[in-house]
Amino acid sequence: MSLPAISKHLKVLERAGLIARGREAQWRPSRLEAGRLKEVADWLEHYRRFWDESFDRLDAHLRELQAQQKQQHRKQTREKKHVRTKKHL
Amino acid sequence: MSEQRNTSEGQAAKRELVITRIFDAPRELVWQAWTDPKQLVKWWGPKNFTAPVAKIDLRVGGKYLYCMRSPEGDDYWSTGIYREVIPPERLVCTDSFADADGNVVPASHYGLGEDFPLEMQVTITFEDVAGKTKMTLKHVGLPESMSDMTNTGWNESFDKLAESLK
Repeated sequence: MSLPAISKHLKVLERAGLIARGREAQWRPSRLEAGRLKEVADWLEHYRRFWDESFDRLDAHLRELQAQQKQQHRKQTREKKHVRTKKHL
Repeated sequence: MSEQRNTSEGQAAKRELVITRIFDAPRELVWQAWTDPKQLVKWWGPKNFTAPVAKIDLRVGGKYLYCMRSPEGDDYWSTGIYREVIPPERLVCTDSFADADGNVVPASHYGLGEDFPLEMQVTITFEDVAGKTKMTLKHVGLPESMSDMTNTGWNESFDKLAESLK
């Protein structure tokens, strides 16, 4: 990576609050803001778990719902057939 | 130009989560699972949680209020306002932690990080893929200045003030 590219990346990290930068002559020491990173990681972890596990349950719910609908449909078709056979008799 | 670039770069640490799932069901069914409270309570919340309450006023500007209960019996309420309701394609709503009366509370109310945003936005899109449904959820934390519910904090403070003046 070129020096200007590194400098640009550091600028982005600084704006995002993920690093803090000082100034000493032409040197700009950078320090990781671990607190900010942890906050973002906590948020992501909380909601990733929440949604992933909710969607597992949603998946199960949709399967069950469709199985029920299929069963109901089969029952109705059987009943219709039954009525038709009765009429024949 | 540079102003715009600053904005997007400044949001690098913004909380944003995107989850995509394919469900083996037509999208009308997936849409109903999200918008019919009787169905939502069957899946809302992590493993072993239950959802004792779901109220949904499904229209732009309408509110929802959900409650999920942990296996230990702790209740977590959440609320929000629908921003876009386009059945069965797209649902956009705000998302905040709430108390049982639907008042917005900070995440710290539930022992979660002080730094959780007070208001988040959830965008769910449903795409038909050969009879199955591709659902994409985008969950974004909004900066406080953009929130129109931050005044709840003030209302609570004023309630306390009124209480102390009695």
